Amino acid sequence: HHGGRATRIFHTGQPRLAPLPPLPEYGGKVHLGLIPEEFFQFLYPKTGVTGPYMLGIGLILYFLSKELYVITPETFSTISIVGLLVYVIKKYGTSIGEFIDNLNEQIIAQLEEVKKASIKQIQDEIELEKAQQAQVQKCHYLSDVQRNSIAMALEVIYQERLHKVYKEVKNHLDYHISVQNMMHRKEQEHMIIWVEKHVVQSISAQQEKEMIAKCIADLQLLEKKAQAQPVM
Amino acid sequence: MASVVPVKEKKLMDVKLGELPSWILMRDFTPKGIVGAFQRGYYRYYNKYINVKKGSIAGVNMVLAAYVLFSYCLSYKELKHERRRKYH
Repeated sequence: HHGGRATRIFHTGQPRLAPLPPLPEYGGKVHLGLIPEEFFQFLYPKTGVTGPYMLGIGLILYFLSKELYVITPETFSTISIVGLLVYVIKKYGTSIGEFIDNLNEQIIAQLEEVKKASIKQIQDEIELEKAQQAQVQKCHYLSDVQRNSIAMALEVIYQERLHKVYKEVKNHLDYHISVQNMMHRKEQEHMIIWVEKHVVQSISAQQEKEMIAKCIADLQLLEKKAQAQPVM
Repeated sequence: MASVVPVKEKKLMDVKLGELPSWILMRDFTPKGIVGAFQRGYYRYYNKYINVKKGSIAGVNMVLAAYVLFSYCLSYKELKHERRRKYH
C-alpha cells in the first residue's frame, strides 16, 4: 500500500499515432479442418502434393494395426457423431457465417455513420467559418462608404464656415466704406450751405435794389414783347 | 562452426540440430518467462485463426482435436485392456 502516492502509470508503451491496421480477411488455411497448411508446405519439397495425405493414411493404419488406437464401441458412436457434424457443417456453414457477418457489418455501419456524421458536422463548421471570413473581408467596402460620406460632410461644413467668414469680413469693410461715403456727402452738403450763405451775405443791400429794378425792367420789356406778339 | 547470428535469437525452425540443446538451455525459464511464452503462443494462435473477419470452424476445431488427442493419451492406460489381440 503506497501511502499517499497519487500517480499511477498507465499505458507506458509508445502511443499509436495511426489507426490500427484492419483485421485480416481470412484465417490461416487449414486442410480437412484439422491440419494447418504449413505442414503441407513443410513436406512439399520432399514428397509433393500427396505426401501429407499418404503420411496420414500410413499413420492411421499403423495405429490401428499396433492397436495404439483401440476399436471400442465408442469408436462407432464417434464415427456417427463426427459424420453428422461434418454433414451439418458442410451444408449450413456458409449461411451461418454470412448471417453472423451481417450482424457484424450492421454494428460497423452504425459506428461508421457516427464517424461520418461527426466528420460532416466539422466540415460544415469549417465552411461556415470560411463564409464568415469572406464576409469580414468585404466589410472594408462599408467603411469606405462611411469614410467618404464623413469627408464630404467635413468639406461642406468647411465651405460654409469659409463663406461665413467672407461675409463677416465684407460686412466690416462695407461699414467702413459707407461711413466714408456719408462723411463725404455731409462735408459736401455743409460746404454748399456754407458757400450759399456767404454768397447771400456778400450780396449788399444796394446790389439787391439794383437787381430788383433790373429784373422789373426786364419783365416790362418782356411784357411789351408779349403784347406785341399776339397782335401780329 | 560459428553461426553468423548468435544462437539465442534464432527461431526454432532456423536452429540446426546440433545447436538444439544449447538453444533450449538458453531459453528463459523463469516463471515470468514461461507465462510470457504461453501468452505469446496463445496470441499467435488467436491472431492467426480466430481474430479474423471470416474465420472458419478450423480455429475451434484444431483446439478440440488437440483436446481429444490429449485425453486419449491420458486414458490409454485403461483402454489398453480392451485390446482385441494381446501381441502385435
